[in-house]
Amino acid sequence: MVNAVYDHIIAILIIGVMFVSAVVILPTMSFTNIQAVNQQQLRNTALNVFNAMLLDTGEPIDWGSWRPFYMNDPRVNRFGLASAQDTTFYVLDPDKVQRLVVGNPLNYCDYNRVRDLLGLKDYGFCLRIIPPFNVTFKSISVASNVLNYEADVHYLDGTPIPNAEIYATAVYTKTQGNDLIFNVSQSGPFKSNSLGKCIGTVPLEVTDPDYYTVTLKVTVADVATLVVTSGQEFNNTIARINLVYDTIVLTSWKDPPNYNVPPNDAIWILDVVAFGSEGKLWHLLHKDKKGSSDFNSGSGNFERWNRTFSGLHGFQPVILIFNFWAVDQVTGHGRSQVLIVTAYPNLLGTNIFEYGGDPKSSDSVKIQRSVIISGMTYTAELWLWKEST
Amino acid sequence: MERINITKNTRGQMRIVEVILASFVIIFALSFTNIFAITPTSQKYEVTELQKLGYNTLHDLDEQGLLARFVYNHEWENLTSALRVLLPLDVYFNVTIYDLQGTKVNNVPIFYGDREAFATSKNVASISYGLVGYPTRLSATYTPQILIIQLVRG
Repeated sequence: MVNAVYDHIIAILIIGVMFVSAVVILPTMSFTNIQAVNQQQLRNTALNVFNAMLLDTGEPIDWGSWRPFYMNDPRVNRFGLASAQDTTFYVLDPDKVQRLVVGNPLNYCDYNRVRDLLGLKDYGFCLRIIPPFNVTFKSISVASNVLNYEADVHYLDGTPIPNAEIYATAVYTKTQGNDLIFNVSQSGPFKSNSLGKCIGTVPLEVTDPDYYTVTLKVTVADVATLVVTSGQEFNNTIARINLVYDTIVLTSWKDPPNYNVPPNDAIWILDVVAFGSEGKLWHLLHKDKKGSSDFNSGSGNFERWNRTFSGLHGFQPVILIFNFWAVDQVTGHGRSQVLIVTAYPNLLGTNIFEYGGDPKSSDSVKIQRSVIISGMTYTAELWLWKEST
Repeated sequence: MERINITKNTRGQMRIVEVILASFVIIFALSFTNIFAITPTSQKYEVTELQKLGYNTLHDLDEQGLLARFVYNHEWENLTSALRVLLPLDVYFNVTIYDLQGTKVNNVPIFYGDREAFATSKNVASISYGLVGYPTRLSATYTPQILIIQLVRG
């Protein structure tokens, strides 16, 4: 009788141990299923995060357009990149996307701040904004009063795009004695050939300009447009050009605290032209070099100059062209007209914009959507992964 | 006397052997049911994701009034280019357009990618998108056509 009781106790213990072992061991045996469930959970999280980023305006709704905007601004309560002015889905506000550009002279939100705002404590993410296709300048030259350019248009995999429609805008300056000539000429449309090559010309109103730059508006199948610019390149130390909503802000080319760097050169702003994604031009400012200078390139406040142009945000500018009266940093010769062209820094060009951590390709999920920034179509891509595995 | 003791001990040991056998039966049963357990595999959701991407792209084109123009004017090259620039690089597509009688409308393949990817991939998303007609400035025709786009990740 006593033996039988002992037998049953041992039997119950063994069954208990085996049941617990089975509960613990069997799920780990079906590792692929567990992995699939984990990946599915990750995908759901990624979808929610992506929707929060692309469909939500954030709180307050105009957080990207604040001046001043502080580094990791604590006034931002909720993160979202959607435009508050547009009711269409997947239209992003360039001012908000700019606040993700690391190194933005007018401050930005860093990766950890955005992770906190999105509630992604145990997750890492990477946001990429990829242009729909590529445009590469092959050559630009001026012969007398004709500007010749050659550009290649190709898909992201490198295959050529035939029949892409290209409009060219040349902006150029020439100093003739006391006359300061600043002019804009346009031509097009030209079509790319079967090799994706486009050779075009722009007739100029002066011969052999001192400075010139070409802006191409390239449209593929009437659906995707890229605006790219090129021209004479030089090491610009006059100012960095920034745009916040309707206001253009020039900042020192050096970052604080040592942003005042000689030589101290007085600078006059003669012309400012905005180029919109629809190919329109807006001559925002035209002045002469009489009177006191607008700012000094080597000293003064970090924000050297600013001016608000009502309606500029709605114009959807992609490129800003500045005509300065300044010392040419390349030649070091006396003052002449100097052209500086800038797009949004690291944004809205042919570069891939990347923000966040390094994706772990094996354990991460990827979601993609078409988005519109400043009237141009891009592919937004989110990579999400678990940090603590 | 000794023989009786041995018998008693053997009965106790047999119960433990029974328990072990029973445990094996339980483990076997659990393992067997695990084979039939349906878990949400990520592949299924990959197809859903591709479908969302496809609808997103076609809807964008339709909202801009371009999809109907490409289809009804037989601008197949433009449709291929538009899809190539709007869809991510690693997403391959194959588009077929039918009229209401089920006759194939596009005589030219509207295709990008590797044909083998469509044949071998387990995750091919298929999206049907209806177009009612193409209104122009002077006239509007009601000739519905169905656009079927297959998407696969390369």
